[in-house]
Amino acid sequence: MKWMQFFTPISLINWEEAYELVQQYPTGDVTFLDVRQPKEYEGGHLPGAKLIPLGNLEGRLAELDKEKPIIIY
Amino acid sequence: MLAGKDFRKIYNLSGGIKAWEKEVAVGPEDVGLHFFSSGTSSEEAIIAGFGLEMGLQDFYTSMQEKVTNESTKSLFGMLADIEILHQKRLIKLYVEITGVDISLEDFAKKIAEPAMEGGLTTEEYLQLYQTDFESEIEVLGLALAIEAQALDLYVRAAQGSKNREGYRKVLLQIAEEERNHIAKLSNYIDQHTDVR
Repeated sequence: MKWMQFFTPISLINWEEAYELVQQYPTGDVTFLDVRQPKEYEGGHLPGAKLIPLGNLEGRLAELDKEKPIIIY
Repeated sequence: MLAGKDFRKIYNLSGGIKAWEKEVAVGPEDVGLHFFSSGTSSEEAIIAGFGLEMGLQDFYTSMQEKVTNESTKSLFGMLADIEILHQKRLIKLYVEITGVDISLEDFAKKIAEPAMEGGLTTEEYLQLYQTDFESEIEVLGLALAIEAQALDLYVRAAQGSKNREGYRKVLLQIAEEERNHIAKLSNYIDQHTDVR
């Protein structure tokens, strides 16, 4: 149901809020999702970030936990 | 896309990675993962982690001998001592997992060859960070970068082991240790902002 995306809240958070959020959970429970290209990831990424380039995201959603926080960049 | 697929807690990082003011890691997705291949057991993962801590301790100790600035010399000594504390934490974890009591010295004998923490080689770190080893603040920056690289490695290894819950938990425990190391090192840097 495509209309659902208009009712599911996506929060915009700054880096300090993201950092605080990560500190509140055990390591590994918050996923940094890097949706850039591999070369960009290689040049620098947030520690522990999972790389799924935007073009591949739809086919790889099963790799992500729906119940846990995901911070996308 | 994720919002319409039942993902419950999605956040967009404002400004992306360019806005991030904490440590970052570098390298491709699989860098260092050979230390934690699919056949690696929890015990072997701890031993590998210990080897990486030992490699970093050796690096700091060798740098302590090379630099001439006395305060930087003692900083390298302190960083090497911190790595010994990390090693002790890993031995504690090993004892918890295996039930086998073992000394630091005996544990060190299990290490075939120490490698540098975070999975990069010493040369790779030196090339990446071009550190002035006589400058305390630059040395601390390098130490922080290495710890961030280590955190990155353990979390990536854990991500690749979702079907092995016990093993994954061990990797995340080690990652948690690294996160604590980063926090302590960051605090140290904040408290010593006058270091050069």
